[in-house]
Amino acid sequence: MSAHAVAAPRAARPAAGRGAMTFRGVLAAEWTKVTSLRAPYWAAAATAVACGLLTYVSANASSVDPGFDPLDSLTSGVLLAQVGPLVLGVLVGTGEFATGTFRTTFATVPRRLPVLAAQVVVTAAFAVVAALLAVIAAVAGILPAASGRGIAVDLTADGTPQVLVGTALYLVGLALCGLAAGALLRRTVPALVGILVLVLVLPVGLSLATDGGTGPAAPAGAVPADPASTLVTFTPSGAASFLTAPPGGGGVAGAPDLGPWGAAAVLAAWALVPLVAAAVRLRRRDLV
Amino acid sequence: MIEVEALVKRYGSTTAVDGLTFTARPGTVTGFLGPDGAGKSTTMRMIVGLERPTAGTATVDGRRYAELDAPLHSVGVMLDARSVHPGRTAFRHLLAQARTHGIPRSRVDEVIAMTGLEPVAHRRAGTYSLGMGQRLGIAGALLGDPGTLILDEPVNGLDPDGVLWVRRLVRDLAAEGRTVLLSSHLMHELALCADRVVIIGRGRLLADAPVHEIVERSGGTLEEAYLQLTAGAVQYRGRATTSPTTTTAGDAR
Amino acid sequence: MTTRTPATRVSFAGVLAAEWTKLVGLRSTLWVALGTALAAASLAYGLSLFAGRGDGPTGVSLVVAGSVLAQTGALALGALVGAGEHSSGAATATFTAVPRRLPVLAAQAVVTGAGAGVTAAAALAASALATTDARTRAGLVLELADPETARMLAGFVLHLVGVALLGLGLGALLRRPGAVIVAGVILLVVVDQLLATNPGQVTDTLRAALPGAGARLLLDDAALAALDAASRGPRLGAWGGGLVLAGWAVGALAAGAGRLCRGDVTR
Repeated sequence: MSAHAVAAPRAARPAAGRGAMTFRGVLAAEWTKVTSLRAPYWAAAATAVACGLLTYVSANASSVDPGFDPLDSLTSGVLLAQVGPLVLGVLVGTGEFATGTFRTTFATVPRRLPVLAAQVVVTAAFAVVAALLAVIAAVAGILPAASGRGIAVDLTADGTPQVLVGTALYLVGLALCGLAAGALLRRTVPALVGILVLVLVLPVGLSLATDGGTGPAAPAGAVPADPASTLVTFTPSGAASFLTAPPGGGGVAGAPDLGPWGAAAVLAAWALVPLVAAAVRLRRRDLV
Repeated sequence: MIEVEALVKRYGSTTAVDGLTFTARPGTVTGFLGPDGAGKSTTMRMIVGLERPTAGTATVDGRRYAELDAPLHSVGVMLDARSVHPGRTAFRHLLAQARTHGIPRSRVDEVIAMTGLEPVAHRRAGTYSLGMGQRLGIAGALLGDPGTLILDEPVNGLDPDGVLWVRRLVRDLAAEGRTVLLSSHLMHELALCADRVVIIGRGRLLADAPVHEIVERSGGTLEEAYLQLTAGAVQYRGRATTSPTTTTAGDAR
Repeated sequence: MTTRTPATRVSFAGVLAAEWTKLVGLRSTLWVALGTALAAASLAYGLSLFAGRGDGPTGVSLVVAGSVLAQTGALALGALVGAGEHSSGAATATFTAVPRRLPVLAAQAVVTGAGAGVTAAAALAASALATTDARTRAGLVLELADPETARMLAGFVLHLVGVALLGLGLGALLRRPGAVIVAGVILLVVVDQLLATNPGQVTDTLRAALPGAGARLLLDDAALAALDAASRGPRLGAWGGGLVLAGWAVGALAAGAGRLCRGDVTR
């Protein structure tokens, strides 16, 4: 945000040289804004730490099981780690409006849409770094348990590459979902409540329909298609189960098999639809 | 009467207020001046108990603010114009404050009328301009009909009519025997309405004297006297955008 | 100054009236209450559509089925009251009027509890309406005189009040509504799910100690028995779960009170 405040008056001076506004410039400005705040770093660090720590604890706990496969524990931290990218995205999306920075921002870039586009790119880039750190932390988390049992960890076999890439993609996708919710609602509390309910709370609520309220759904063999489970599958976190599991695994009992590509499409839709709505609102309405 | 004695406030390694002592007396308007970051707002916040002093004391009529039974009747405070939830109307904001003390609703209407807020009293405060927010702050300070008023930059953002109104208001309040402590950066405004000025810099007292005495000592205006006194204590100084040959006021030592 | 106002002083009744004025004077309060009732009723309606096959639910368990969503609304209500004060800057006005500070938090606890209670009652009424069809279809009656039914309905209200007070305490402690929402959802939902993936004596004990244990207040006897039978941790029953949530709410409020009384009110 300070980049705008400082750079704008200087750009107005002939001595400092005239530059036309370019998308690269807007991108650089958004990058400066995101990286000059503390919260994004906290969100990224929390994502990686949650992922690594929980994976480590979970792998250690299950390493006493007879059929222990360390790779099974690889994604056990995602449940908590997904909060990080969501918060990151919401903060980037609402930050402008919650702090009043938007006045400076949109006075500098009156066409407005390049700002939103740049925020998408910047959030994705920041989230990619956070997601990579989280995946590396998760891999590091299973190593002690694996070496304790004398099991060699082979990350190239049995669809593990897909799990690693899928997990990273899911975390990046969540950051974009958060950004979209934030850009659309413009206020931190409604955006956070909305996105956390969608990703974390609603699936739990819907799973009550399938198991009578005793906890998360436990898959029990072939179950006929069940509307509640189908709805869960089409939430971001439900779709994610296809991304964070080896090929053929994942999904909720009694729901259609989306496959990794279908799941990615569901996730992308959760980011794109509100982003388009946010773009329309940004373009058509006054900024107050 | 406000008595500040050897007041110190530290945040970690930063010292915002450094052994400040001064008194604001009844029947006078005391101007409270200093460069940005000098510790004016911190001092005012400590007087009304929002922040705890690291050392020293601040009392109103001889008692610590938090010990007062009816703070709103003793001290009226306007610290900054954004001390209101943007989603709440001016009327509701003032009514809530009044209710803590059992002040009747009629008094809320009265201060709204006094500050000229009637047309917007039922609009959400988030939609107010700076000047309207300022009037709401002053209305809140007047609510309890207090014997002491603490006003931080009350004329900031007011229209010329509002500036004139505040000037008359503080003069009238002092004439009624009340204590008024008022901070401002507008020297000509203070020269018109203050009897006495307390000037601080980097958290320390630089001057505490009647306005006429300070002006006579420097032989110029209050502004010139202020710039001389604070020359060594300015922490944030802008520079001219053109050639460095022009002497700006801040460079005149 | 035209008239001298009559001498009055700070009283707890006054502070309570002030906090009530502040709560109902915000549109966000109304939106949260409406959204909570609507979300609860929608989920109850949705679940009532899927219900009926397999082991039959009771009428009242359909009515309280929206609690998972409704608790998020209660959390948001508490967060807005407790943290909104500080994040909006209104704390300056509030705490110059009541410099002893603690009465403000106490009054906020009362009005937040009342607000959450009213919201919960509205959510129950909306859920009862939304599930009427399903209940008549399945022949399920809502017998208010039945002690289990009464306990579950009261439990729904108590759970929401407890979560709202937890949000208020976290709000006074963290002073940012967003931080409260994130922390609250993690405490209420995420940690429980994480622990559920690794059942064992330690994890089951930890699960029983989470604030989400308050949801036991609104489980029917059969579900409670199943839950206690499956758990290797302590068997809390319904009211034990309520006590755990109450402990969390009191703890959060005490921590919030500690920061409020010892710390500075800053912008």
